[in-house]
Order: sequence, then C-alpha cells, then structure tokens
Amino acid sequence: MLSVKGLRANVGENEILTGLDLEVGPGEIHAIMGPNGSGKSTFSHVLSGREGYEVTAGSVTFEGQDLLALEPEERAHLGVFLAFQYPVELPGVNNTYFLKAALNSIRKARGESELDAVSFLRLIKEKLKILHLNDSLLKRAVNAGFSGGEKKRNEIFQMALLEPKLAILDETDSGLDIDALRVVADGVNALRSPERSMIVVTHYQRLLDYIEPDRVHVLAKGRIIRSGGKELALELEEKGYGWILEQEQAA
Amino acid sequence: MNGASPTSFDTWLSARADGEAGAGLDWLEAQRRSALDQVREQGVPGTKQEAWRYTSLKRLIEQGFARVEDEVTALQLQDIEELLIPGLDSHRVVMVNGRYTPSLSALGDLPRGVRVTGLRALLASDPDALRERLNGVTGESQPLFAALNMAGLDDGLVVLLDRGATLERPIELIHLSVGMDEPRVAQPRHLVSLADGAQATLIERYVSLGESLYCTNSVLELSLGRDAVLKHDRIQVESLNAFHITGLYLSQGAGSRYVGVNIGLGAAWARTDLVARFSGEHAECDLQGLYLAGDRQLMDYHIDVNHALPSCSSRETFKGILYGKGRAVFDGRVVVAKDAQKTDAAMSNKNLMLSENAEIDTKPQLEINADDVKCSHGTTVGQIEPEKLFYLRSRGISAPFARRMLCLGFAEEIIDALHSDALREAVSEEVGRRLETAPLT
Ligand SMILES: Nc1ncnc2c1ncn2[C@@H]1O[C@H](COP(=O)(O)OP(=O)(O)O)[C@@H](O)[C@H]1O
Ligand SMILES: [Mg+2]
Repeated sequence: MLSVKGLRANVGENEILTGLDLEVGPGEIHAIMGPNGSGKSTFSHVLSGREGYEVTAGSVTFEGQDLLALEPEERAHLGVFLAFQYPVELPGVNNTYFLKAALNSIRKARGESELDAVSFLRLIKEKLKILHLNDSLLKRAVNAGFSGGEKKRNEIFQMALLEPKLAILDETDSGLDIDALRVVADGVNALRSPERSMIVVTHYQRLLDYIEPDRVHVLAKGRIIRSGGKELALELEEKGYGWILEQEQAA
Repeated sequence: MNGASPTSFDTWLSARADGEAGAGLDWLEAQRRSALDQVREQGVPGTKQEAWRYTSLKRLIEQGFARVEDEVTALQLQDIEELLIPGLDSHRVVMVNGRYTPSLSALGDLPRGVRVTGLRALLASDPDALRERLNGVTGESQPLFAALNMAGLDDGLVVLLDRGATLERPIELIHLSVGMDEPRVAQPRHLVSLADGAQATLIERYVSLGESLYCTNSVLELSLGRDAVLKHDRIQVESLNAFHITGLYLSQGAGSRYVGVNIGLGAAWARTDLVARFSGEHAECDLQGLYLAGDRQLMDYHIDVNHALPSCSSRETFKGILYGKGRAVFDGRVVVAKDAQKTDAAMSNKNLMLSENAEIDTKPQLEINADDVKCSHGTTVGQIEPEKLFYLRSRGISAPFARRMLCLGFAEEIIDALHSDALREAVSEEVGRRLETAPLT
C-alpha cells in the first residue's frame, strides 16, 4: 500500500529526514514513536504534500503511484489523510460547509456524484453517532476558538467522513486528557478496516493502550532506527529512548 | 467633444431637456446658486489636498461626463427582473439614471407615519417639507462633490418617518444605470429623516444593465432623532467601467443607533465618503465595509467621525480583498473633542492581498483630545496564509477553491452584518463569483 524508500528531506539547509524506510500493508496500523524533533511531523507533512520541504533522495509510492509528484489535493483524492498535530483555525469558514466541500471535492475527483444537502446531513449524522460526538462543532467556524480536545476530535471526525485509505495521525493524542484520548482512540478503532491503513505518530505509548498497532517503529534523527511488534512500545515506555539511541550509536 | 480634455465640472451641469426640479422655488434657486459658487471656487482639487492625497481626479474629469438629460421610459419590469434579489421582501423604489421611476417601483403598503417619495415629486407637491431638510445634514457649505450634487439637483429618494414610526420591511432603493450613448452623470440626492424613536431598514443598491461608462454622484443626508434606529445596507455593484461617488452625511441624535454596511464590488473608480456627527449623547454609530478591487479598479473610502459630545460610540470595521492590479484607499479619521469624555471608538482596516501588483493605502487616524475615553485602531495588510491553504488542500479541496473559501471566510464578518438573509446570500455569491475569475498576479 505505502512504500517509503531511502527518503531524505531538507528544510532550508538542514536535512531533517535522513534516509527513511517504511512499508505499510493494507489494513495495517503502524505506530511511529520518537523523541521531540526527530522528524515525525516532517515525515507526515512530506507524505501529505506540504510546501517548504525539499525531498533530496528516495521515493514514496502509494498504491503504485509516485506520491511525491502529486499536489496535496490529489493525494487526498487518492485517499491520503493527515490528522494535523496542530489543526489550523479558519475563522469565517463554516465547519459544515468545509466538510461538504472536502467530501464533494474528493467524490468529484473520483468520478462519483456530489452529495446534495440532505444526503450529506444524513451522512454527517451517521458519522457523529459512530464517534459518539454531538453536532455542536459543526455550526462553528473550522477549529476557530476550539479547545485542544475539540480540534483533535474534529480531525477524527473529518477522517471518519472522508474515509481515507491511508490515515496519518500526527500526535493526535498529545495534550488530551484521558476522556478525550478515549474518544480519539474509539474513533480510530471504529474506522479500522481491512482497506484502511494507519500511521499513528505518538510521543507516548499511552495511546497504544487503546489502539493496538501491528508494528511499532522508532524514528530518531530522521530515520527509522528500530522496528518491532507492540512489545517494543512497552519497552520504550519502560526504558525511554536513550538505550536505543545508544545502541544505534554503537552500531 | 472638441478634442481638448475638460478641466472643470461644467459639463456635469449642462441643462436638462425636461426642466429643473423645483423650478421657481426661490430658496432652492438660492441653494443651487450657492452650491455652484462653491463648485467654481473649489475647482478641481489636486493630490496636494489632504482629501485627495491618494486619489487623482484626473481620470474622472477627463471623461467629460454630461448631465443625464432626459428620462428613460422604455424599461419594463421584466427588463430589471434579473436585478431583483430572490426572497428579499421590501418596499422597492427604482431609480433609473438618477430619476425616480414609479412604473418599476413597488412601494406596497406603508405603515402610518411613513412617507416614501421622490424628491422631484415632493418639490412639486410639498416643497416646504424639504426646505429645512435639503442641506440639513451637510450644511449649506459642503465638500466638492456634495456641492456639485446640489448644483445639479434633480431627483432622489425621500424617506420621512414620524415620531415612533416603525418600518417592518426594508426600503430598498435600486439605483439603476442603463446604457447611455455618451458618458453621462446622474446625481441623486437622498434624504432620510427619522424622527424620535423611529426605526427603519434601508437597502441601497447601485446596479447597471450592461457594462457602460457613466458616473453616479450620489449624496445621502441621514438624520436620526433621539433613540431612532437606522439599519442601512449599501451594495455597490456598478458597471466595471463606471465611476461611482457617494457622500453619506449622518447626523445622530441622543441615544440613536446607526448600523451601516457598505459592500463595494463594482465600478472602475469608486469614492465613498462617510461623515458622521452626533447631536446628543449615548448615540452609537457602526460603520462596516467590505471592498473588492481587481484590475483597473480603485476603491477609495474616507471616513470622518467627529465625537464632539460625550458618551457616544463609533465603530469602523473595513475589510478589503485586492487582486490583480487592484487599488484601494482607506483613510479613516476619528476626532474626539476635549469635552467628549466616555467616548468609545474603535477603527480597524484589514486587507487581504491576493497579488503582488495590488496596492493599498491605509491610514486610520485617531485624534484624541479627551482623557477618559476608550479608543483603538488597527490595520493589517496580509496574504492568504499558506498553512490555511494547505489544510484545505490536504482535505481534497483544489487550490483555487480553497483560496476562495479563505477569502469568503475573511469577508464573512462583514457579509454577516448585512440585515437580511436574502442579501447575505446574494452578496456572498457575488463575492465568490468575482473571486472565481480574480487574477492572482
Ligand atoms: N519549518 C521548519 N523550519 C525549520 N526547521 C524545522 C521546520 N520544521 C521542522 N523543523 C526542524 O526539523 C526537526 C524535526 O521537526 P519535527 O518534524 O516537527 O519533529 P517531531 O514532530 O518529531 O517533533 C526539528 O529540529 C525542527 O526544528
Ligand atoms: Mg511533531
């Protein structure tokens, strides 16, 4: 499904991704953990096509297509979705209008018919129910004045609505209290399916108590330095990142 | 035309074929003469004059506009149907090229104590009702374009509300300009007077059939009695070849409230002067605006609010979206006199620049001479933020559509302040439509 090979990327003069390899199969959930500043968000942004990063080497293939050659919206049309670490506030842009524009843009790009207002509202209601959310966020401007928890929930809601094939969740858990964390985790679990892969970026192993990953990777200094099963997350929780970094240096 | 470029406004005051409004009224003749003297005295102001510092009158005067000389009689209701706003339930007044046109108007039933009529007709039937009101707000000595308007006085809308009278539905003034075979100028003068406690909503729309070259120089004299409330939406979508000038003069009694929302989308060259004065305490004046300026367009706003009395508040909130080679000017001036304690004044002007070739001159000024006041002003000039654009695109929304959404989001605050859903929807659509074809370089 997703194949990342030897990916290197710069921000200005600095190389942030230094040869990153990752293979994600259909329906798999991969956790990426790593210390602050290791390049997790950079990786997420490069996958979703944000400007400001220069890819200098390597490749990213998504369902056989060269992802890096595509515009951000084209990636979304293919089914790539990023839940932002810091969701952007859009004052004056109504959330419902935004969701409808997003969904219909994707449907149109895929040659499907656009949803009319009634079918759209029906769909919204259905998704809210699955995620145990109420509709209070829909009437407001996108993320404007939302609390941290509300912003993260809104990201998950968008994911539920747009039904991506590859969802990248960039620290969706950070800054959340335990209740909000559960909402996010329940949402992710509800959306788990054999056709949907996820990359769950997290700084803490806490989230992985609720979302069980197929694979866990440690990202440090811009590349994956260790991969394993979910027990790797527990080991990291116990010992911190220090020991892996030391082993890595010794090697 | 004799080839040489005109150097005065004399052509604006050529004779009308169908006679002057209120002919034979001595007091009116005197006012016209006085206005004409003022026009001659002021000449054509150059950019050294503060009021015209950012905007040259050269382009305007070179057109050599001639006064509209007769009435357009051929228009029928079906010709203007496309100009009506679906779902807008109003007392409709249509003026064509500056002349009140009853056959296209639909005043409907007016409540007691409300008088809505044409200025020309009223000068014929009941001139005394106007004697104190013409120049009542501007004063006899007036700025150039108000004086020109007075010197060429022909027609306008008159709305008079008695004490406590209330209008449920808005009065909608459609100012329509239709194809004239040579460049002509219409100078309507509108008088709106609300007695104590009266309440009304006024919608003013400047529209055209076709993209012809013409000029509108309109003056509004608005007078609000004690505790009166006027809500006022102004939508300027003149032809993109037209010149548009508005002078809005507002006098507010104690405890009165005025909310004006100015939407400026059309005209090649548009100048709007908003002038507010208070004649009693605890009055509130809220001036809002949204302007778009693209290639070959100039949008020029001048605001002059004078707090001479204590405890009044004023808000000036203007937003602009500029693209292509569009130009805009925001020159806002709020003066708080020494005795005007407890004044609450806030002025803001925010601009979104979609291209590097667009140009804005923004100059908000507060002159505060009292010490116990709450005053603020702020101005921003910015671009669409890349992270907002990326957020939308990451959700599958194309870059042009995303840009339009962000622009509309920026404009939303002002569009939302309009006083009817039908109008909000129409304006939002029109803004979106213009942005769709907006050049971004
Ligand atoms: N836009 C940027 N400009 C400069 N440096 C950046 C930028 N984005 C990221 N970086 C740098 O790249 C490194 C990785 O950042 P990031 O990907 O945000 O890490 P993480 O998400 O793992 O905390 C950090 O050293 C950060 O300072
Ligand atoms: Mg990060």
